Amino acid sequence: MTPGTIDLAGVSTAYEGSDLPVIRGISFSVAAGEFVVVGGPNGAGKTTLLETINGMLPITHGRATVCGLDVAASGTGVRTKVGYVIQNFAFDPLAPFTVGNVVIMGRYGILGYGRQPGEEDHRMAEEAMRLLGIEDLADRSIGKLSGGQQQKVLIAHNLAKKPEILLLDEPFSNLDLFTRSFVCDILTGIADAGCTVVMVSHAFDALPDREVRILAMKDGMLSLDARCRGDEVEEKIRNLSGSVHA
Amino acid sequence: MLEFLIPNNIICHAVEAMLFASIACSVLGVIITQMSISSIGFTMTHAAFAGASVGIFFGVSGTATAILASLIIAAILGPLSEKARMPTDTILGVLFGMMMAIAIFFVSYMQYLGTAVNASALLFGNVVSLYREEIYALAGISFVAILFVAIFAKEITAIIFNRKIAEAAGIRVRPIYYALLFMIAISVSLSLNIIGGLLLYVWLVTPAAIAYQFCTTVRGLFLSAPLIAGSVSVAGAWFGLQHSLPVGPLTAVAFSGLFLIAVLISPKRRVPKGA
Ligand SMILES: Nc1ncnc2c1ncn2[C@@H]1O[C@H](COP(=O)(O)OP(=O)(O)O)[C@@H](O)[C@H]1O
Ligand SMILES: [Mg+2]
Repeated sequence: MTPGTIDLAGVSTAYEGSDLPVIRGISFSVAAGEFVVVGGPNGAGKTTLLETINGMLPITHGRATVCGLDVAASGTGVRTKVGYVIQNFAFDPLAPFTVGNVVIMGRYGILGYGRQPGEEDHRMAEEAMRLLGIEDLADRSIGKLSGGQQQKVLIAHNLAKKPEILLLDEPFSNLDLFTRSFVCDILTGIADAGCTVVMVSHAFDALPDREVRILAMKDGMLSLDARCRGDEVEEKIRNLSGSVHA
Repeated sequence: MLEFLIPNNIICHAVEAMLFASIACSVLGVIITQMSISSIGFTMTHAAFAGASVGIFFGVSGTATAILASLIIAAILGPLSEKARMPTDTILGVLFGMMMAIAIFFVSYMQYLGTAVNASALLFGNVVSLYREEIYALAGISFVAILFVAIFAKEITAIIFNRKIAEAAGIRVRPIYYALLFMIAISVSLSLNIIGGLLLYVWLVTPAAIAYQFCTTVRGLFLSAPLIAGSVSVAGAWFGLQHSLPVGPLTAVAFSGLFLIAVLISPKRRVPKGA
């Protein structure tokens, strides 16, 4: 087994009903503990890339291996090891779920049918809430929190399952500057501890103080794959958009 | 089953049938309304209605054809609703119209032919001339629905919260979803003769909607929806038969009235004083 690795070889993914694949022939490998920032314009295929990695979309060509598992064959198995913080969420203010309910749900997939969460599961959920600083919100209704608080709850939900890989889709779009760097420090911490982090982001002002890998996407393909320090990312991306000869 | 409580055989059977039909429909109704797929439930009930009318016209078991028709609709709509965006509004509209047209065609034709005894029960329900087997079957599906919710409580809770997040958490969503559609097909088909095709979806949607006005937990929803549905249905059957009123419509009106009251007094909608 190879925990925390992502290996894509010529992968294309199409949505049902569309003629052309959204991402086309993408190949790259990510080692365990890497911090990857995925950039690129709207519609480039960033969300599609994340949902290809965790097996939620059908791969039409190529082969994706995540945590040593073939994604096409064992999507559910991949998803018990890979966290995914989705981009667009809207919770009904009256929805009958507390923050605590939502965070413990992160462990349901690992538990599988028929097994109830035990002491250990609740301990991991509490730990995740403490890390995100939301333990005080545990009994609050999720629908009545601010967008930023909800974002933290979803991150805690994913950390509760102790993922080998954490995918995040524009996690900063709901957060103010201060909270961005707070969350970024947490992500840096888990990456340093060996969990691979793949984050789609437009905001390059709160990136970690460590080496990051930048993957830039354009029209469903990779246009840049580079390593640099977090504070150099913005410049790299700007150079890239300056040199487009399309 | 309840003869020891209700000596009158007709009333007893009516009460039993209404009780079990309402439990099965309302338990599944909680999932349907919370997943925002009540339009699927709605179309499936009308498919059962159409299926039964075709079955009765051709002299085969109306229940079997009802189950078949609503399963076919589920097989069409299930995959469609799995797409992230659900552009099914028009499709649902067309299918609903088609089911209604088929049902009404056969019911009218049977009325014209003078074989409309069963046909009017299909429209408005009939709690008086029930077979014992029908009541046992309803008791069975109620039990299965409750068992399903109890066994898969945590998965159902997560799916109700957000289907995409549940799937990303590594929960096997699809088997649960198709089991749900399958049980809806059986429940509505068995309830059809008692409640009637025109009002069936009230049992699927309204008790859960009433419960939602008060409950702050998923557990609360699953406990109170069948409790509300069961007690209103039993009271409706009892009162309707005592006063020779049509039981199905009477109970449906009671449900809707209760829903309005629930919305008005719901603690969830209260605005704090002085705010
Ligand atoms: N459910 C869908 N069905 C069909 N096409 C889709 C769907 N979701 C996204 N797309 C298309 O795929 C392309 C890439 O989308 P996406 O991966 O969401 O881009 P990004 O996240 O980079 O903004 C877009 O052109 C979008 O229109
Ligand atoms: Mg996106």
